Amino acid sequence: MKIHIEFTHSQIVPPRILAGANEIGAQVEFLGIVRELEDGQAIAGLHYEAHEPMAQSTIEKIVAELAVLYPCEAVWLIHRLDFVPVGETALFIRVRSRHRQSALRMIEAAIDRIKADAPIWKRF
Amino acid sequence: MQINILTFALTRIELGFSERTVEASATETPRAILRRIAPDFAPDKSIRVAVNREYADWDKPVGEAYELALIPPVSGG
Repeated sequence: MKIHIEFTHSQIVPPRILAGANEIGAQVEFLGIVRELEDGQAIAGLHYEAHEPMAQSTIEKIVAELAVLYPCEAVWLIHRLDFVPVGETALFIRVRSRHRQSALRMIEAAIDRIKADAPIWKRF
Repeated sequence: MQINILTFALTRIELGFSERTVEASATETPRAILRRIAPDFAPDKSIRVAVNREYADWDKPVGEAYELALIPPVSGG
């Protein structure tokens, strides 16, 4: 399985997909977008910070563990850091798999685990 | 040996630094090291510690560690 984890300090650009994977039957993408209201207050955006090397290894480990349950061919995950304005993407995940169930479940489980364990913080 | 202490989010605000290198011994625990450099800071249960970029036990000796990071409740995604 291919795992690509990346942190960026600018707008997230979804990576181009290379052709040639004829056994891929599903591709699922998730975009986590900064909302206008946080705790009922209007905000301009969110500031994200991370312990990047640890976040990288933690997320890689999470995805590898989940892949045992939900086999996938490839996972891309890009998390934006620093200031992310309202309406822009803070988190991008793309999963490709043979069957849709694996990709859908991988995305949901990965987000839950990342929110619980990846050393990333946001503030407004 | 020397160990690099990293703080983030709330812990950085409370301790007043983001990174500091201190002398430590392999038999010291993260809790003991932190108590020595910041006696007034008592981490509650919500704050985890990572040694060499892996979650660790506050009361287990750090060994030949190069890094100790304070991990307040995370909120990524």
